[in-house]
Amino acid sequence: MADGALVEIADLTLSYAGVPALRSVTFDVGRGRVTGIVGESGSGKSTLGAAILRLLPPAARVSAGRILFDGRDLLSLSQREMRALRGARISFVSQDPLRALMPTLTIGRQMTEIQFRRGDGARRKRLRAAEMLDRVGVPNPEQRLRAYPHELSGGQRQRVSIAMAMMMQPDLLIADEPTTALDATLEAQIIALLRELQDEAGCAMLFVTHDLGLLPELCDEVVVMESGEVRESGPVERVLTEPVSDYTRMLVRCDPARVGQKTRRLPTRSGNPDVGDVPWLGPPERILRHDPPMLVVEGLDVTFRRRSWLRGALGAQSDFIVQAVKGASFSVAHGETVAIVGESGSGKTTIARSVLALQEPDRGSIGIGGVEVVGRSPRELRPVRRRVAMMFQDPIGSLSPRFTVGSLVTEPMLIHGIPVPDREREAMRLLDLVGLDARFAERYPHELSGGEARRVGVARALSSSPELLVADEPTAGLDLSIQGELLNLLAEIQEQMGLAILIITHNLAVVRHISDRTIVMYRGEFVEEGSTEALFRNPRHEYTRMLLSASRHLQSAARAPADRGNEGAERPLPDP
Amino acid sequence: MLAFALRRSLLGLLVVLLAVTTLYCLVHAAPGNPIDILLGPRGSPAMKAALEARLGLDQPLPVQILKFLGSLLEGELGIDIKSRRPVADLVLERLPKTIALLIASLFVAAAFGIPLGCFAATHRGSAADRVVGVASVSVISIPPVIIAIYGLLLFAAWLKWLPAVGAGERGDMADQLNHLILPTLAVALNWIGYVARLVRASMLEILNEDYIRNARAFGLGEWKVVYRYALRIAVSPTVTVLGIGVGYMLGSAIFAEIVFARPGIGKLIYDALLVRNYPVIMGSVLASTVILVVATTVSDILNALIDPRIREGQES
Repeated sequence: MADGALVEIADLTLSYAGVPALRSVTFDVGRGRVTGIVGESGSGKSTLGAAILRLLPPAARVSAGRILFDGRDLLSLSQREMRALRGARISFVSQDPLRALMPTLTIGRQMTEIQFRRGDGARRKRLRAAEMLDRVGVPNPEQRLRAYPHELSGGQRQRVSIAMAMMMQPDLLIADEPTTALDATLEAQIIALLRELQDEAGCAMLFVTHDLGLLPELCDEVVVMESGEVRESGPVERVLTEPVSDYTRMLVRCDPARVGQKTRRLPTRSGNPDVGDVPWLGPPERILRHDPPMLVVEGLDVTFRRRSWLRGALGAQSDFIVQAVKGASFSVAHGETVAIVGESGSGKTTIARSVLALQEPDRGSIGIGGVEVVGRSPRELRPVRRRVAMMFQDPIGSLSPRFTVGSLVTEPMLIHGIPVPDREREAMRLLDLVGLDARFAERYPHELSGGEARRVGVARALSSSPELLVADEPTAGLDLSIQGELLNLLAEIQEQMGLAILIITHNLAVVRHISDRTIVMYRGEFVEEGSTEALFRNPRHEYTRMLLSASRHLQSAARAPADRGNEGAERPLPDP
Repeated sequence: MLAFALRRSLLGLLVVLLAVTTLYCLVHAAPGNPIDILLGPRGSPAMKAALEARLGLDQPLPVQILKFLGSLLEGELGIDIKSRRPVADLVLERLPKTIALLIASLFVAAAFGIPLGCFAATHRGSAADRVVGVASVSVISIPPVIIAIYGLLLFAAWLKWLPAVGAGERGDMADQLNHLILPTLAVALNWIGYVARLVRASMLEILNEDYIRNARAFGLGEWKVVYRYALRIAVSPTVTVLGIGVGYMLGSAIFAEIVFARPGIGKLIYDALLVRNYPVIMGSVLASTVILVVATTVSDILNALIDPRIREGQES
């Protein structure tokens, strides 16, 4: 093996159709070392990974620089020479496990086809695939080889992707946000698995992420990127504890998991001098305990049935029944924020849908402002709906693309028949409330950034002057600095308007800062409920402890080789 | 997979039953009476009543429909009012000619449209892509009748390369194929353009997918990635559209069969309509309904073979 770093990127400058994406990027990836690339969306971090593989979109142009891989400049190689490196010396794991595998071929077929360079027979290749699946902790590998990707869960699919990449025994593994689409517990398992496999194989890894919390777990060095430029690079501990660039300092400060003190105001990009100075103590006065609660849910049961029409016609039993919510009871007071946390599939979104009367429950009652909503006709529900607002998860997708922001934010008023004498002024008022400039009224949804679209979502939710706000994963997919701004905005509005807020999320760091009370949901049941502070300090249920340890695990300070056990394997989950 | 195919076939059968009933009611409600046409203006009321009773037209509509369905099960389609021959014989005689024309058209549409669309997608934005784009749209916008008439003029009348009328000598395969070329051109030309547009659009979408980039990241060859992986998925909407397209092709086939005097189902329907020959109309329309249902069922099953998610009723 030659001396020097495995990958040396020097002065790399790249643009998409004239728009600069990378500017004079320079850094090395040492042999057998793990280099993290961290940055917010649009920083160029994923472009970098694609540039090394030379799998950039056709609009991309490299105007300067070089990428040396083991001493050879990848940018000067022919397509043929490049292809010889892909999947042999460099392999790749992508972000979204649901889109990473060919939907029409079995796992086994895909895992044998990528071994096309190896001379041995089909049986040997299949055996190797099964061994690799076993190694990454996929149960029943033989059976899994015959399955199609859609028959596997997201976590399992990501394990398969990792198995495929590592089976090639690469010198360099590029992992582009491999855990972003996964739950906290799965994320911890996948990170541990990557660490183990990298250690075993001794390969170098380029780990692209937006999550600072993952860096100390996995990386030796880190490169911090912003707007296509490297802001800072160096050993992980040094960069995280003594950042030299303002940008890194901002990133570290904005991570809610790192804000030690439980404050209601999170630090943001523009800064917040109060951070740390305003500890949040005891139940605040904004919660109106003496009033009857805004939302009361009692004994809620929701089941999903799948029934084929033929069987239905013959009067046969349903094909399957999933009990999504079992006996849920809780309340939210005026001015209070309650969070329901749980993994995907735990039933938390079903509760939100029931509260919004979008899902008919089998049993139980839901009272909104003292009015029972279960079993009411859509017509009877209309006055109740006006008092409840929803904030959707997908910020841009939930805004109709052909309307301007100005008409979008005032639309709910028209729907609810609230008289609006001056629609334009009303739009200005709402935009001002969520901290958006009046200019935004003329824009269309596709002209908004993720953070701006969420603000529009908040304005839209507030326009019918609701008393209860239901927010489904309000911060999913947002960069940390913007996430802080949004949460601060919600807190501010709550104080002004005395809103009751129900938040549905799997992000524990967010919950800790925004919610007064927290409910932990697991497989359709409430396993624990209490004040957020108490729950975080002293979790009682085993599952809560597991959730907390998974998220704390990722925040632990440095990478300690000693605790590298077999953490990557799938752990059995406790019974609720 | 077998369960899926069975379920789809049952559904197809149900559609045919429904179509037959609807058709019978429509024909019943249409103005004009076959008895008047058969007997002419001089038929006496007694003769009319006797004929009505003989043809079963004096019974209530539901009974007529049930009787018709019953005779269908025995392969009976009734008797042609003009020639007195069983309608089933007439239909079966013509059916192979129309089916041959449809299969040839489907084949031509796919064999030219898919590669063209693929080529355009992989050379996106190039001059070749633009040429294919313009050519497809132009070809789509020519009505099949015009293609049939000008094809006849150019290739049969002036150049004398191809025969003008008929379906070819019985038993002479080469002659029959020769007679198939111009009608196929008339029916399929639109579809070549349409399929090319469709394949291009879905290929562009699929080539952007993560799994295609990942396949490239494993060093798999470009040919394999494009034609074995991407095309396999991209062709799925085309299969659906071609399945439904058989209905439109049947419409074009009527024109083509009239222009080229080709004795197929389309020609049969046309001739029967002119004289309100109800049993023949019923029989031939029924035959085309069955063709359409079979085509859509086959395309559904093909799609399920291509994509395992469809088999389980998941969204793709």
